[in-house]
Amino acid sequence: MEKVCVLGAGSTKYGKLEDSITDITIQASVGAIESAGIESKEIQAGYISNVFGIADKQVHLGPVIMSNLGISERPSLSIESACGSGSVSFREAFANVAAGFYDAVLVAGVEKVTHTGTEWTTTYFSYCSDFFYEGGAGASFPGLFASMARAYLTEFKATEEDLALVAVKNHQNGFLNPKAHLRKKITVDDVMKSAVVASPLKLYDCCPFSDGASAVILCSEKFAKAHSKNYIEVIGSGRGGSPATLQGRDQMTTIPSTKIAAEAAYKMAGVTPKDIDFAEVHDCFTIAEIVDTEDLGFYAKGHGVEAVREGRTALNGEISINPSGGLKAKGHPIGATGVGQVVEVFEQLTGKAGERTVRDARIGLTHNFGATGASCAVHIFKSV
Amino acid sequence: MKQEFIDTIKSGKILVKKCTKCESLHLATVYFCQKCGNKGFENKILEGTGTVATYTIITVSPAGFEQYTPYAWVVMKIDGYDLRISGFLGGISSPAQLPIGSKVKIVGYDDRGIILEKQ
Repeated sequence: MEKVCVLGAGSTKYGKLEDSITDITIQASVGAIESAGIESKEIQAGYISNVFGIADKQVHLGPVIMSNLGISERPSLSIESACGSGSVSFREAFANVAAGFYDAVLVAGVEKVTHTGTEWTTTYFSYCSDFFYEGGAGASFPGLFASMARAYLTEFKATEEDLALVAVKNHQNGFLNPKAHLRKKITVDDVMKSAVVASPLKLYDCCPFSDGASAVILCSEKFAKAHSKNYIEVIGSGRGGSPATLQGRDQMTTIPSTKIAAEAAYKMAGVTPKDIDFAEVHDCFTIAEIVDTEDLGFYAKGHGVEAVREGRTALNGEISINPSGGLKAKGHPIGATGVGQVVEVFEQLTGKAGERTVRDARIGLTHNFGATGASCAVHIFKSV
Repeated sequence: MKQEFIDTIKSGKILVKKCTKCESLHLATVYFCQKCGNKGFENKILEGTGTVATYTIITVSPAGFEQYTPYAWVVMKIDGYDLRISGFLGGISSPAQLPIGSKVKIVGYDDRGIILEKQ
């Protein structure tokens, strides 16, 4: 298996964007190509992730993007795995470069939905659940994670204020990120007083609906060395699945696919959770970040909440969780998020993260899932 | 198979598949046994009663549910079995009305999916 590296990264701002789904994907892709210092002709394949292209009248994005980059003859794969699309796409690109099929590929993710409004997004996002049992019975995505939160609060005696602390931390980090969707500091009181969306989750417990695109250039080590000194290595890649419904799970306070994907990624990388300096985790809702940090092995089950309470997951704490601001504050353009996490790791490990830099970081982890964790991918990266 | 499942739900009961090899139970919409991989099942009808395993009260709803808002979406543990089923439970506006462990039952199926009520 070839060693695989990230050679360049680009991203649009996340938020409410005016440009089309195609335009923002190209902007992020060109950013990644320029960051890598390569010509577009050197890209041998494209992996383009997106969920609701239909909202901006463009599906089958792969060849559209490749054509706009002057490489229409190169193969592309258009990928959908709900909110995990970006990392699932990244994994497919990784596997193909690792197998030696390609020397350099583009991985780009995008979402453009804010123009559709809250009811459209709430409704269409609910199609990512097992619709017969969940979306079709009135469960929104906030509702599904709220059900996990209700179980967690009951089982572990955590409080709604504890959940709010996750939002406060991630807004603090997002405030330092020029590309974040929500760049304002908030307090626990702000979260507690925000409107209830799905009890016990309130508006500020939820990530925003965002537009945005992110892209990276993934390549063999040989290709990377020939082009730049500013690259990072992918040392672990893992994937896993969970029952598609919450009812299919024995426990509501854990996401099985995270554990499966993390175990595989740690094993490939030859590291343990203690070796991770920072992690970009899937905090679509505040409860998710707490569950993630437990399932990823940073904290024992039921203890993730203490870590947040004691500030151990804050920027430059014991382990910096979501230095970018996470989905919560950086934003969650669902098809782009998994790729955007890799952009953050690239920036952190190549000295480009500015005020939100995790000091002395050498190993970073990304964790991204689709729906309530029905599909999941974990990747581990090392500076060179 | 889904229609047979829905018809059973309408009568307040749950059609499950019992694996002929390992005897584990699955909701009727499963085609291979998750536990042992076997394809052989026999039908079994369970009473549609149980307790709330977890739930939420939805105040920002997907399209089609506006007139019912607020309402609960519930994961119910089926009485006597290590098996859960979820559905819509109307008329709930406060967590105090539906603590975890509350007794609930299946009463029907319509355009709101599987319908539950408090017992």
